[in-house]
Amino acid sequence: MTLAPDSFAFVATLVRRRSAIQLESGKEYLVESRLAPLARLAGVADVEAYIRAVRANVTLHDQVVEALTTNETSWFRDRHPFTVLKDVVVPDTIARRGKHLRVWSAACSSGQEPYSIAMTMAEHFPDVRTSIVATDLSEEVLAKGRAGQYSQLEVSRGLPAPLLVKHFARKGPVFEVHERLRSTVTFRRHNLLDAPPLGGPYDVVFLRNVLIYFDVATKRDVMRRVRSVLAPGGWVFLGAAESTIGVDDIWERVPVAGGALYRPREGKAA
Amino acid sequence: MKALVIDDSRVMRRIVGTILTDVGFEVIEAGDGQEALMRLEQHPDVRLCCIDWNMPVMNGYEFIVAARKRPEYRDITLMMVTTEGEQDQIVRALAAGAHEYVIKPFTADVIIDKLDYLGLIETGVSV
Amino acid sequence: MTATIDWAPVLDTDPLLQISQDLFATMIDAEPGHVHHWVGSRPELVDPRYTWVDVTDEQIVRVVIGTGRETGEAITRALLALPDDAEVTDEDFMDAVGEVANVVCGNVKSLVTHPGTLTIPVVAHAAPPLGDGTVLVDACLSWRGAPLTVALWLLP
Repeated sequence: MTLAPDSFAFVATLVRRRSAIQLESGKEYLVESRLAPLARLAGVADVEAYIRAVRANVTLHDQVVEALTTNETSWFRDRHPFTVLKDVVVPDTIARRGKHLRVWSAACSSGQEPYSIAMTMAEHFPDVRTSIVATDLSEEVLAKGRAGQYSQLEVSRGLPAPLLVKHFARKGPVFEVHERLRSTVTFRRHNLLDAPPLGGPYDVVFLRNVLIYFDVATKRDVMRRVRSVLAPGGWVFLGAAESTIGVDDIWERVPVAGGALYRPREGKAA
Repeated sequence: MKALVIDDSRVMRRIVGTILTDVGFEVIEAGDGQEALMRLEQHPDVRLCCIDWNMPVMNGYEFIVAARKRPEYRDITLMMVTTEGEQDQIVRALAAGAHEYVIKPFTADVIIDKLDYLGLIETGVSV
Repeated sequence: MTATIDWAPVLDTDPLLQISQDLFATMIDAEPGHVHHWVGSRPELVDPRYTWVDVTDEQIVRVVIGTGRETGEAITRALLALPDDAEVTDEDFMDAVGEVANVVCGNVKSLVTHPGTLTIPVVAHAAPPLGDGTVLVDACLSWRGAPLTVALWLLP
């Protein structure tokens, strides 16, 4: 089924107004796949019928924006970036700057990414002082991240059992991240369209699966703001399906074991 | 790759077995730990065991302890799949030699994520 | 081993609802939203079946689940991914509904950090006698509009 153009336009406008996230044409699949579960819950025939209901009922707008802007939240998502962090980024940073790592986890959602980074550091570099700034647009997910409490189902998504028992404590129905891990992560509200968060410069920035929402001009602006808080020699992780190619040539794509890292090219002015 | 699903509930064997079959495993079954040890004798090429905790005859924990005493089974990945969700139980199972631990209820994605992490499936398998 | 268990985390129908919602959302419905508290007066179960699992220690806690036969068959078909019109054998029924009781009981045990062991599920036409036991919680839930009772007993 293809979404009717005016249905897509309605959703794109709604999401852009609420979140500054741009759903260009070609993102119909994203709208369909994210809204299909809501359509089923509402008991309507398909996404088209659901969008008709949303247009008639302003109280449904929030859940549409939420569904389209919330990132999937599993631990060690895609795995590869955490391997590259351990094998490439941290050794490189230590060699250049000593045993201190400053990380920005952007669009961190409910905290699985920054805590996965913190666990990677605790497992492999216990003597490296690590500070992680984790940001998101939504206060709700930030509160969850700060609390560091996850249900049994949430901890079962991608978190290896040995790390679960080492870094979490069961408290009734939830598993809570240990204080020593939580103390390395600072959660802050931040919109990627605004000036970058305090706490930089950063040795590494995780900016994964969020550029896909933006148009090319916004992607370039967001990346330039990231660059302005990147420490000399710092690295950026993008999502597996994302790239700076065709966005901005100030970035160098460095292939590493089955994926890529990004850093500013030498000698290019910001 | 061969997997052995050990659970006294046929329903659970079928659910776990279907998930494993969908990602390319050949699945054999056992209803308790004792029967599982017998199946391992018959199928020395089993690479993964999914093990319930509470079973008659020999429970999953006892099975892990028994399997870990056999050097020829050291390359088999042992994954508990159980309703026992207390932290102490997870620690006990891991200490006895389990590699992974899944608490029921679970979705197929949970099992697939874990197998992926353990390097037991090709990434990009769609279900 | 001490038998002093803090029952507070489960002395309410909400934890049983939460456990049931997670179980149905993941393994039976493949999506959330089909399990709620029963609204209104508690209905009679039609052609009832009761399933129970115990956690045994010095104190025995028993999880008792009640459904109508038809509802239990629907749960069985969903768990086993059988077609809507498939006939459900007694063996499949007992196994599937027993597994539901097993998962609920295991999760209750985790919530109260009970050191005991789970028994193998029993399925019957009538609930077992309560005897000198105490009913800790007695919840009536709705799954897709059909009643499903989940009770927690403490046996002497």
